[in-house]
Amino acid sequence: MASAPSKLYADDVSVVVVLLDTNPFFWSSSSLSFSQFLSHVLAFLNAILTLNQLNQVVVIATGYNSCDYVFDSSSDLNRSFENGRMPVMCSSLLQKLEEFLIKDEQLSKEEPEGKIKSSLFSGSLSMALCYIQRVFRSGALHPHPRILCLQGSPDGPEQYVAIMNAIFSAQRSSVPIDSCFIGSQNSAFLQQASYITGGVHHKPQNLDGLFQYLMTIFATDLHSRSFIHLPKPVGVDFRASCFCHKNTIDMGYICSVCLSIFCKHHKKCSTCGSVFGQAQTEAASASDKKRKTPET
Amino acid sequence: MASAHVTKRAKYKTTIKDPGTPGTLRMTFEKILFVPHNPKSAGKLDVEFRYIKGQKHTKEGSNKPPWLNLTNNQNGSFIFEFENYSDLQECRDFVGKVLAKGGEVSEKPTVAYPDEQLSATEMELRIKLLQEDSELQKLHKQFVLSGVLTETEFWATRKKLLDREASKKTKQRLGFKSAMISDIKPSTDGRTNKVTFNLTPEVILQIFAEKPAVHRAFLSYVPNKMSERTFWTKYFRAEYLHSTKNSIAAAAEGAEDEELAVFLKQDDILASEARKKIRRVDPTLDMEADEGDDYTHLPDHGIFREGNKEMTESQNELYKRSLSQDINRHAAVVLEGRAVDVELEDTKAVAEALAQSKQKSSNKGESGGDTSRERLDRLSRMTEIEDLQGPNTLPLAPLCIKDPRDYFDSQQANALRTSGDALGGIEQIKCGLSTQEVYGSLRESISLIKAMGLKEPIVKPEVAHQVFDALTNSISNTKYHIGKNPQESILDRLPRKTKEELLHHWTSILELLKHFWASYPITTAYLYAKVNRLKDAMSNIYPQLEEIKGSVPSELRHQVSLLVRPMHQALDAAIQHYEASMQKRSAQSGERPNGYV
Amino acid sequence: MPQVKIIAKNFMDMVASLPAIKLDLLYRNQFICEAILRSLPPLAKKYVLQMLYIDIPITSKSLQEWLLADGSSKHKVAIDRLIQLRVFEVIDRKKETTYKLNSTFQTNLRKHMISGGILPREPMPQSVTARLPTSEELDAYAHEQWECFLLQLISSGQAEKSTSFSSSMMRIFQRGLLRQRDKEAPRLTESGFQFLLMDTNAQLWYIIREYISNSEEQGVDQADLIAFLLELSFHTPGEAYSLDTLTDDQTTMIKDLADLGLVKLQKGRKESWFIPTKLATNLSVSLTDSSSRKQGFVVVETNFRMYAYSSSKLHCEILRLFARVEYQLPNLIVGAITKESLYNAFENGITAEQIVTFLQQNAHPRVAEKIPSVPENVTDQIRLWETDLNRVEMTPAHFYDEFPSRDVFEAASDFARMHNGLLWEDAKKMRMVVKAEIHMLMREHLRGQNK
Repeated sequence: MASAPSKLYADDVSVVVVLLDTNPFFWSSSSLSFSQFLSHVLAFLNAILTLNQLNQVVVIATGYNSCDYVFDSSSDLNRSFENGRMPVMCSSLLQKLEEFLIKDEQLSKEEPEGKIKSSLFSGSLSMALCYIQRVFRSGALHPHPRILCLQGSPDGPEQYVAIMNAIFSAQRSSVPIDSCFIGSQNSAFLQQASYITGGVHHKPQNLDGLFQYLMTIFATDLHSRSFIHLPKPVGVDFRASCFCHKNTIDMGYICSVCLSIFCKHHKKCSTCGSVFGQAQTEAASASDKKRKTPET
Repeated sequence: MASAHVTKRAKYKTTIKDPGTPGTLRMTFEKILFVPHNPKSAGKLDVEFRYIKGQKHTKEGSNKPPWLNLTNNQNGSFIFEFENYSDLQECRDFVGKVLAKGGEVSEKPTVAYPDEQLSATEMELRIKLLQEDSELQKLHKQFVLSGVLTETEFWATRKKLLDREASKKTKQRLGFKSAMISDIKPSTDGRTNKVTFNLTPEVILQIFAEKPAVHRAFLSYVPNKMSERTFWTKYFRAEYLHSTKNSIAAAAEGAEDEELAVFLKQDDILASEARKKIRRVDPTLDMEADEGDDYTHLPDHGIFREGNKEMTESQNELYKRSLSQDINRHAAVVLEGRAVDVELEDTKAVAEALAQSKQKSSNKGESGGDTSRERLDRLSRMTEIEDLQGPNTLPLAPLCIKDPRDYFDSQQANALRTSGDALGGIEQIKCGLSTQEVYGSLRESISLIKAMGLKEPIVKPEVAHQVFDALTNSISNTKYHIGKNPQESILDRLPRKTKEELLHHWTSILELLKHFWASYPITTAYLYAKVNRLKDAMSNIYPQLEEIKGSVPSELRHQVSLLVRPMHQALDAAIQHYEASMQKRSAQSGERPNGYV
Repeated sequence: MPQVKIIAKNFMDMVASLPAIKLDLLYRNQFICEAILRSLPPLAKKYVLQMLYIDIPITSKSLQEWLLADGSSKHKVAIDRLIQLRVFEVIDRKKETTYKLNSTFQTNLRKHMISGGILPREPMPQSVTARLPTSEELDAYAHEQWECFLLQLISSGQAEKSTSFSSSMMRIFQRGLLRQRDKEAPRLTESGFQFLLMDTNAQLWYIIREYISNSEEQGVDQADLIAFLLELSFHTPGEAYSLDTLTDDQTTMIKDLADLGLVKLQKGRKESWFIPTKLATNLSVSLTDSSSRKQGFVVVETNFRMYAYSSSKLHCEILRLFARVEYQLPNLIVGAITKESLYNAFENGITAEQIVTFLQQNAHPRVAEKIPSVPENVTDQIRLWETDLNRVEMTPAHFYDEFPSRDVFEAASDFARMHNGLLWEDAKKMRMVVKAEIHMLMREHLRGQNK
């Protein structure tokens, strides 16, 4: 951030882009109900907005088939009526979210065959980054942006490349990606995203206290993070997905030209087209003639 | 082994001035033995190699005799004069090899294979690398000298290091001479009117490079239309006409002979190239405005070639060539350098090679016809006034690959984690609901929250307190584990010796594993033997690791065992793979235990 | 006249200085809770958030666990602030310091998180208000109003239209800023100049503070006023709110606020309403916030000429304080910084530093990008001219001589040096000059020596 310090507000003003997992298949199997989850998150968003007048919150819904902006505190003026039951922002957010879900449902074609599919995380992450780039380019001063992923669906290895690209561009523009995983198994993508961009990754143990986790860990602005310890994951799952079958693999083949990852040996790199040849066996047989001599 | 010893005739000299004692020089890995031919004369020499520190030798082609100067560690020196340079070279290579070994372990005979016919330079390169990198030297000592890996195997994985080192030496290409071709003066014998030009392939190449039109003409006329000889005769006829500055005569001759005219006319390729170059000039530079400012636009700067002053008529403009044009063209060609590396024997080949290289460079330069657009772009770039534009730099963090140890630290914790969440990919959770139902339930919860408002209280105070306590605990725990400084790793808390040992083991295990996995699939008996060798070396590491674990104080033992565990795992995996493949092998081909096809 | 130096004091400082009971009363208002939260340092905000749903006291140790090595000073500031504002209640138990959130504050904030703040009044529907001013118009209005007020404040004659502030009210504002000698025209005091050089938010605070303390004299409750002002800052700028929703006190107050440019009053056919401007919503923002930064307008050249791109009369008046205004074009004021004009300023108690910071803060955006935004030779010269005036420093002192012996002299000079009071000494002739403050001590010392 050192390169353009003058463009940032001095203190703790922040833009928080929240990626909400709205994958219906996940929520139907989750121990935390979606309405509970929403009340935790909405209260959290409200808190962020309360913290500073200039704070800005953007919510992007990560659906199963699509993703879309559902709330932007800078443009959604509080014109809607208040019923006193919830903060003003919430009603407009919920309205948009409902519309989004209807659209998302219309897009879905076939029934999933029995297992939870991942949500479109790569899409919403890219949208978040686009939004942040717009923030960077607008006006003389801009707040500190960060991304918070509230994800529960399992990773979609087929999105590996897109997600990694998004992560690296986030790192390049020094936007930390915080992630809070609310599903049953931890997500390698989120762990890597937070690790690479210098964000916080946490998997709450007690989902009833989600709000407390959000407040204690994820409400911390970037300014205060230089004074405060935040929970660090003990280990990061660095495994990658292969480009050919989109499987998460422990060990594989890497193209020496473009660093694409494959689970099997291929003749040609599908990404950059380099011909691998039979380097190993050829070399072996070539050196064979020479090597045979000492033994005989 | 090439030879375990070298025996050469040489003269031993104590100083350079000393005429020297003739005798036989015999070098083995251990010592240098010099026996004079005359047994009575002094100067018998028996030096062990480990006292030898370095060597110097005279270069071939220098006017000095072939001398080899060995310096010992007391700064004394032994000078040997050989009979010829090849003897010197052989001895020099031998000494180089021995010295390389001597740097590490002098008492152990090296395991070398006869296929290692290394050039002296490569040898030197390796020695240099080993000397510069103590870690590499350690590994080399550990594996190569103990016979686990061969020299070639060891270096095969480090080709890049060698290449980088080797590429530091720049190869200088021979350029064009700076003398101009117009300097090829015809030699006249004074009696007849015959004028002789001397042509060498070198000169031809230069002519081709400087005069693309001649080059083109050569490619199209020779040998279909005329012989090479006639071609050059015509060319020099044209040159001669130029040199006489007789443009009227030139015009007349050009009208008669169209081939000759090619040489006499302005070079159209050059002209088009010049136009292209002008287009590449900074578009904001108004060259027309400068015209007439100086005398450069005057032909030949007012200087005339050969001192012949003669006004040329304007109608013969076509056949006029100015000196400054020639000079400029020549300068450009010299600067471009020689693009072809063809033996200058066959003019035809030279011409074609030149044509090819030109093709390449012009392809690079010109891509598509959007030059005018590019020009516009450049124009807007050049006319951009910084003061009027805001800075459009966004904050960027450089991409960086962090300290790989960071990765290992976290990996090690990862491996420790008992919970299976990191291991199992996507566990398949059944969800029997249909798409409609799940979307329905999601919308329901939204309308629920719309109607009811947020849950109150969002968190129960007890839960909130629990969560906060748990987080505070984990924070203080990690603080204890990792230390205050986030950069500090567990390694830094270990005693120095243990830390170094651990790191060394890591590197050596990595080296072994690299070779181990690289030898699969086993296709030759050689690889088979190598794998066996590697496996033995790997199994030797286990007790060493245990020893390290035992040697540290008890409070650190846990940390060390955490660090050692991934090493164990990596070794285990390798050995498992080895055993599995052994079983398969023996099951498949019982009669051929080596499995070698 | 009290020579108080005007400190750009924060609203929250004022709130913090309220007595405990009043503070607790204030926290009954949700908006005040929110405003307080916003004004806290970042770390303090985090502490409040994480303790929002915790009912039992938290040990200070557990808070400190989270700190990184260089965070302890920030932590201390945050905790001090929280205790000062009585947001944190300190409970000492078994030698361990524990903190608990103020329960009124806590409940109100919780309510705010869950159900959002409900303003006591809703914006009026579009059908009634017809056309509302755009935000640019509103900004311009606020600006104009504020400048008009300032102009009237410093020179009552200059203002084109006078505000509705009573002359007694005006005099209260002017108290400390202006000084009137006999029948002369009132002149700005030192603090008056300083006031003019402050940025708008700081000036606003000064006035509001005076206003609040004055209204207390008139029997209006200070806490009510503060509550109303804070509440106002949560209204959406540009929306119309009916005047009927206000209490009588508030109605009189809103008229004053309209004069300051905080709100714009409008009258419809039947109803009348007020529209809060940005000035009002900035009330709850802490002053140091860079968001209050204005666009500058001054360009200073190395030849001491100064171009101010402004049509404001107030700007002209301010510049006139330290520079010679040469021309006034429709949108440009051309002036020169001269030795005479600066001496004038220094005489009025303006310091060189103030002038330099004013020039820097108000630098035109084009020059503000450059470093330094004001040419160095100009800033240096301004400072030099100031030090010119301070060449002679007067210190009351006593002169000692005729010491009986060198020992006594040396002991005395050491003694004076020890007390940091030795101004001059001549060891040869055994004479010295000592500050008047330590004359008594010196005398004691010499007496002791004589014995």
